[in-house]
Amino acid sequence: MSRRAKLVWLAAALVALLFPLVAARPTWQNTAILMLMTAQMGVAWNILGGYAGQVSLGHAAFFGAGAYVSTLLSIKLGLSPWLGMVAGAGVSAGLSLLVGWPCFRLKGHYFAMATIAVGEIVQAVVNGWEFLGGAVGFYLPLQEKGFWGFVFNRSKLPYYYIALGLLAFSLLVNWAVARSRTGYYLRAIKDEPDAARSLGVSLTRYKQTAMVISSALAAMGGTLYAQKELFIDPGSTLSTSLSIKMALAAIMGGVGTLAGPVVGAVVLTAIEEASRVAFGGTGRGTDLVVYGGLIVVIAVFQPAGILGLFASRRGPARAAPAEAPAKEAA
Amino acid sequence: MTAQLLLQTLLSGILIGLVYALVAVGLTLIFGVMDIVNFAHGEFLMLGMYAAFWGFALWKLDPLFTLPLTALLLFALGAALYRLIIRRITDAPMLSQIFATFGLMILFRGLAQYLWKPDFRSVGESVVAGKVAFAGLQFGLPQVVAALGAVLTTAAVWWFLRSTRLGAALEATAADKEAAALMGIDAQKMFALAWGLGAACAGVAGALLSTYYPIFPEVGSTFILVAFVLVALGGFGSVAGAFWAGILVGVVEVVGGFLWDPAYKMVLVLSLYLLVVWLRPQGLLGKA
Amino acid sequence: MNPSRRPTYLAAALVALGLCLPAAAQEEIKIGVIYPLTGAAASTGLELKNAAQLAADLINGTDRSLNLPLAGAGGLPKLKGAKLKLVFADHQGSPQVGATEAERLITQEKVAALSGCYFSSVTTTASQTAERYGVPFLNGESSSPQLTQRGFKWFFRTTPHDELFVQNAFEFLRDLEKKKGLKPRRIAILAENTEFGTGAAKLQEKYAKEGGYEIVEKVLYPPKSTQLTSEVQKLKAARPDIVMQSSYLGDAILSMKTYKELGFVPTALVANNAGFNDSEFLKTMGKDGDFVISREVWALDLAARKPVIAKANELLRARHQVDFNGNSARAFTAIFALAEAINRAGSTKPEDIQKALRETNIPADQLIMPWGGIQFDETGQNRKGAGIIIQVQGGQKVTVWPFDLAGKDVIWPFPSWDKR
Repeated sequence: MSRRAKLVWLAAALVALLFPLVAARPTWQNTAILMLMTAQMGVAWNILGGYAGQVSLGHAAFFGAGAYVSTLLSIKLGLSPWLGMVAGAGVSAGLSLLVGWPCFRLKGHYFAMATIAVGEIVQAVVNGWEFLGGAVGFYLPLQEKGFWGFVFNRSKLPYYYIALGLLAFSLLVNWAVARSRTGYYLRAIKDEPDAARSLGVSLTRYKQTAMVISSALAAMGGTLYAQKELFIDPGSTLSTSLSIKMALAAIMGGVGTLAGPVVGAVVLTAIEEASRVAFGGTGRGTDLVVYGGLIVVIAVFQPAGILGLFASRRGPARAAPAEAPAKEAA
Repeated sequence: MTAQLLLQTLLSGILIGLVYALVAVGLTLIFGVMDIVNFAHGEFLMLGMYAAFWGFALWKLDPLFTLPLTALLLFALGAALYRLIIRRITDAPMLSQIFATFGLMILFRGLAQYLWKPDFRSVGESVVAGKVAFAGLQFGLPQVVAALGAVLTTAAVWWFLRSTRLGAALEATAADKEAAALMGIDAQKMFALAWGLGAACAGVAGALLSTYYPIFPEVGSTFILVAFVLVALGGFGSVAGAFWAGILVGVVEVVGGFLWDPAYKMVLVLSLYLLVVWLRPQGLLGKA
Repeated sequence: MNPSRRPTYLAAALVALGLCLPAAAQEEIKIGVIYPLTGAAASTGLELKNAAQLAADLINGTDRSLNLPLAGAGGLPKLKGAKLKLVFADHQGSPQVGATEAERLITQEKVAALSGCYFSSVTTTASQTAERYGVPFLNGESSSPQLTQRGFKWFFRTTPHDELFVQNAFEFLRDLEKKKGLKPRRIAILAENTEFGTGAAKLQEKYAKEGGYEIVEKVLYPPKSTQLTSEVQKLKAARPDIVMQSSYLGDAILSMKTYKELGFVPTALVANNAGFNDSEFLKTMGKDGDFVISREVWALDLAARKPVIAKANELLRARHQVDFNGNSARAFTAIFALAEAINRAGSTKPEDIQKALRETNIPADQLIMPWGGIQFDETGQNRKGAGIIIQVQGGQKVTVWPFDLAGKDVIWPFPSWDKR
């Protein structure tokens, strides 16, 4: 990481730490929490979709696994959601092995389509499964439980800092993966799959490693969602539109970069919230026009993501961000 | 359970499967030529439905009479969309393309709601109201006509690709862009043509569906998942693949839902799809 | 500040002050109203919004001809005539967005109370937010029984919930047997496999068992299906007397068309409200929508007994060219109930409104609903809610049960499709 990049990260971390103390309005804090949560999902997705180049559009299944496992353990066994978060990450990683084994035979669009199918199947199965709450889902009791109980009614700050901590943790994992041998091979798989194979890199093994990490992180985000909203159902935690949103955050910021999903999530959430707050009450669909229109504009004029704006000054838009960590690994 | 009931569901499955096929043919055409998965494809179908609806609501013209006009309108829209937007992301990575067409999807839904309200509309009394009954089997005439129209349109697209110079040029571009360019084929024109044709197919499917399916801004979302499955199942870019996959999926969905549990009919379809691509990663008729 | 500008500011301040003096009363009381204004349910959401806005305008207006609480009061008299202002928000069908919007309305818009959200799942999360902040939440149209079983202190619901509705349907069948000697026994259930559909199906099974009916088929289907052929074939094969159906609008329309296509004719189709009662359903189906029976909370022909219904309906028609339906009538009623409580509280302090809501006792004749009134029990559920059963006859929804409210006799059985 360059000195300048370190400074930017440090500044961003400071701003993030101090933000809720300056912005005391619950709405601002809530929007910031949504940004952090979306960013965390995007980072999780990016490890598989960006670094390994395997575009998954079924990641909601992993997110949902985290939400459901922790909620079930907390409702049925009274376990702390923190333990549930760990368990959820484990279950999700296991599920990713099950999904990865058949799906990694497929490439490009075929892989993306297969993951949509997996996501839809998981949603339909949970929807019809009484033990998993079926279509009704689960309510978590609304009572202040403190840190260990993971329910906070009096203030938004605990949720904010937990979301921030989870994002920091995910970024750290991402950073560690990127500079490790695995990260090096992942880039090789993404950019030169044939060359990588001929050098004896087991494509499936490294893709699977990326997917296990990616899905475990997504599941942790799911637990946070469940504890924040205190209500989960298949529609809100397992839908394909949620999978697409995870990918959108990463794509909008810049795939295969550490900061991409964070920048993307901030912009995406800001557009979404602002257009809805401004126009949502009219019932005319204006918010969708604005939201969709802006996505198209960004996609057309900045296809490498918003980060490309900054990178393009020094070099080719797409290559620059992906190269930075590569140099460190080498 | 009688054999007759089974036959009835089987034929019903084929009827809806043929309409699915037409939607998917449009999607696979665009993909075959440009390697772009169009997330806004369901919205072309939705716009086709609205075109049929407004023709009926304003001028009392039956969706079947306005069908050619609907096809033309959607062709123009598809081609224009290519010129204005898609052209700029032709060389962008796959993810940016998904991103752009996803944005278009939301934009079109929003525009439809903005312009025509979120109400559910329908074409009241189409000329094709009624029933077809034979040998103890019965089918709604709108469904039968929609299926027939879908087959004819698919056949027309097939004929166009196989038997016209323009179609051959399109196929050549799909097979190898550089070689096609060397032969003097203007790739830009071909891409616009593919988008026009693709949108027109979905629009025609929409107009055919409008005689019995409710029309609303989000209606595209109902059909897009099936269309995706068909394109992947048949093999990305394969028109024939999409056609046969459509029939297969229609039958599995309807007969499977009937014999097993309708709550899991899509699970059945999606599992079949996963099984097929697991055994044959390039899809039924896709190029390896 | 530019000195030359100062007089202008001064003048402006004076004018503002002058406006304020007589208009100190013209303060606004904000109520946050959250509905699905985009997405698949946007058409219903818009209907609800229009009805709620009409209710607020009636309270703020001066037309005293309607016998509804505060109608024509020109605002809330006990709050110095403060006007009611509804701040609408869109939840897009997402529970998370519902909670986000509830929080925004409470903290940014400073609403005195909340109402909405139609979808039970969104009402769940939005009312949690209200509970956290200690702001009253009055729900007018979500029917999941669990909502009032959560021990919330700030949640109130005017509409009866699904348990009562399903009970009503079976009471209707029992009354048919007692008074008309009709004995349908075989019931088939068709429901979307969502919270709404599966919940209703479960209750239907329970009450069918208690009533000695036989469930010959239970079909759950994924909502927004491209076709319902397999579902309808399954029903047809089971040869039921009665089909009990829970579907939203798109599926309600598609299923009816499929019944017709496949010539499926049960003795009766008893729908569980939702799509079948949407104004668009009859507009779309035309005469093919005839003879459908559905549980309802409201029907226009009740106007024969309650003239206020006809008057309110005329006002809505004049504005939006549609009649009330069960959903919009409930949204309309919720705003009146909320306004009445806020006015009685004489304050916008949440505790005062909560206390007033607990003491609410609106008599039956001041409602456009066929209810015994509005009075909340300790869970926040209106204990005086009631349901009716309607049937579509000649393109109109007419009340057919309870028999003492019935505008017309029920047409039984469902005529076959070619004899219409």
